[in-house]
This record gives sequence, structure tokens and C-alpha cells, in this order.
Amino acid sequence: MRIRVMSQLQRSLSIELPSLVPLQLPSRMETHLWFIRPDEVKSTSLLKHYSQLLSPTEKEKVLQMRGDELKKNALLARTLVRATIARYQTNNAVDPKALMFKKNMYGKPEVDWQNYTNCNNPPLHFNISHTDSLIACGVTVHVPVGIDVEDKERKIKHDILAFAERFYSADEVKFLSTLPDPEVQRKEFIKLWTLKEAYVKALGKGFSAAPFNTFTIQSKVGTKGEYNLCKMTEMTASSLEETNKCDGEWKFSLLELDDSHYAAICIEDDEASGGAPMRVIVRKTIPFVEDELISESKLL
Amino acid sequence: MATSFCSSISMQAPFSATTTRFCLNKQATIFNNGKTNNLSFSLRRLMPARLAVSCAVKQETVEKVSEIVKKQLSLTDDQKVTAGTKFTELGADSLDTVEIVMGLEEEFGITMAEERAKEIATVQQAAELIEELVQEKTA
Repeated sequence: MRIRVMSQLQRSLSIELPSLVPLQLPSRMETHLWFIRPDEVKSTSLLKHYSQLLSPTEKEKVLQMRGDELKKNALLARTLVRATIARYQTNNAVDPKALMFKKNMYGKPEVDWQNYTNCNNPPLHFNISHTDSLIACGVTVHVPVGIDVEDKERKIKHDILAFAERFYSADEVKFLSTLPDPEVQRKEFIKLWTLKEAYVKALGKGFSAAPFNTFTIQSKVGTKGEYNLCKMTEMTASSLEETNKCDGEWKFSLLELDDSHYAAICIEDDEASGGAPMRVIVRKTIPFVEDELISESKLL
Repeated sequence: MATSFCSSISMQAPFSATTTRFCLNKQATIFNNGKTNNLSFSLRRLMPARLAVSCAVKQETVEKVSEIVKKQLSLTDDQKVTAGTKFTELGADSLDTVEIVMGLEEEFGITMAEERAKEIATVQQAAELIEELVQEKTA
């Protein structure tokens, strides 16, 4: 069932953007996943309004993109982040244009709350991912989040197993090589890619902190859409065996978005969750215009 | 915040007809903890300096890299690729970057460590890393 929430003003925008409809914060162990379809945003006046929300640095980055479509997508990505985060400010209305961002010491973007001295700012975490046809933003409270989206139909230009052997863990290569159908193999490869990317992005420590071949992600037996992360421990001088350490420190969720994309979400586990799976609330949005709650997110 | 910078020192070898160029820290990434000062070196974290002979990359290498990038990203004719072009500006995501790396490895017969490969942001940087690895291979 689809629920549509329209903002108060009509779609034909005149002079200003309407004010943002505020949102309830995600609860613990819950991720809010927002996505936008660039091809559904056609109004040039709306895009112009969006560009006015960006900081000078962001505008410059948008202009550096080579090609109109890429420029538009870069603009929509920043707008999605600013407009979405601004809506979660429970006490005071936050101007999305006034939000500031910084990077952690490894380069992961985060909100910079320096201008907002009152302690009521929720410890919001966010992460974005884009493809040509869909841009997504995941939001959590208290725990770091990483997301990755990929087009389901994305064609890999190299041989899947050669690619996996080069970059994935031995167990993952083993798993992929058991799949007889090349199409299934390609899909599982992409699903694994999104899960692994989501983990590295949630970790937020840069690529070298978790090279892809040092950890395995596999689906939890007997569950739907739940995954385990197993890390290879270092080989000690005395033992030549590599041991896998599977920890529950990170929670994963893999879903199908809008029938066209895989989306993987990774959040740091909160001990209070008691091992319960992650809840994901998915909403499609056009900032300042409309939201659509996707109440049935297909878990994979 | 990570900043990458490039500095090069050029010297003329005294008794030889060829010019030798030494590049210092061509690909070093400096973490300067969010500060935007222009100090070349941060004392906290410094990637090991890599000395590479001949940092003037061959035009041929740049062209080969550009071809592979264009193919991987299915670029249109109006999307020009030059040495300084950033992959992200062309819409490359991490999966594209890794595929580009695989294409480069195949073309040049080299292997790039994942951490270094993922650091490549421009055609120029890819060309430099390739030439460094090819050099090491033939050394």
C-alpha cells in the first residue's frame, strides 16, 4: 500500500520553496532510507531553487561534473542530504541552507553542528550513495551508517569470478563459484558488492581500513535479509591457519528499491537491540514537494 | 580530512646527456585532521614517501588510461578526458574505479594494491602509478 504525503503548496512553485515538513527521528536500530529518482525531477525552476541551498563549495563541485545529467545528479544528491537532515530538527526549524558539513579524519562526511549550540541536536548520522538513476540517503540516530545502491541490471565488464578472485574474500569466491547460472552469479556479485561497500562506508575509516578481501559477508542461515560479517584474523607466526571471526558488531540489511536497485545498509550494532534485525523505513522523495512511504520494502 | 598534493624536484645530472627527475611524494595522502593549513607534511600521519624516477608521464600512458576510462564509463564525445580529469567528475563510482583498475592491470601487465588503486582520483595519478609499477617490474 502506498501512502502519499503532499506538502501544502502545489507543485508549480512560484517564488520561494515551501517550508520543509518536519520528521520524527529514527528510533534506535532503525534506518530511514530516502531516495530520489533524478528522471522524476524535471522542473528547471525547482532545480534552480535547489541550487540556492548549496554552499559555494558544493556549487563548485556540481559545476565540475562533466555533463548536464551528472551536474543535475550531483545537485540532487546535495539537496537530498540538506533537505532531509534539516527536517529532523525536532525543536527549532533548521534552514537546510545553513547546515554545515565536515569530514572525519578519514574523509567521511558528517554534519557539523558547530553553529547549533543547544544540546537538543540529535546525534544524526547519514550516508549517501548514487547511481545514474537513483540517489539514496540513509539516516540513523546514535549509530554510524553506511549505504550503497547499485542498479540491479548493472553489467560488469570483467569476468565475475576473476573480479571476485582479485578483490573479494576466499569464502565469497567459493560461494560465487557454486552458482551455475551466470545471471544469478552477476546478481549475487552485485549484492555482495553493495553489502561490502556499505560496511566500509559505515566504518568510515577509509578504504585501507577494511580491504575487501579481508572480510566475508554471508547471509544468516534461516533468516531473510540478515547477514553476518566475518573478518579474517591475522595469521600468527605459530599457526598457519586463518581463522574467521564472525562478530555481531555490525548489522546489515539488503533490499530491493523501486524494483530496479539493490540497496545495502550497514549500521553499528547497539547492544540494547538484543540481536533484533534492523528496521528500515523507505521513502521516495522529491525535496520540498512530496514524500512517498514505501511500506513494503522487499528484503533480500 | 585527506589532502593529496604533488611536488616535484627537477635536477640535471652532471655528466650525462639525459635529465633525471626525482619526484617526491607524488601520491602521498596527508591527513591533517580537518585543518586547512598548507603545510606539506603533517606530523601525525604520513604515508611513506615514494621516490619515482621520471614523473613526467608519457603521453602514451595518459592516452591509454583515458581510453580505458572512456570505455568503462561509456562516455559520450562531449565528455572530454584529460590528464587532470577526476574520475568522480565523470560519474565514476567505486565499482567503476575498481573496474578501471582491472582494465589498467590487464593493459599494462601490473598489479595494483587495493588501497593504492582506490586512491587514484585522476587520469594523471593512474598514469603515474602505472609507470611506477611498470618500472618496478622491469627493474
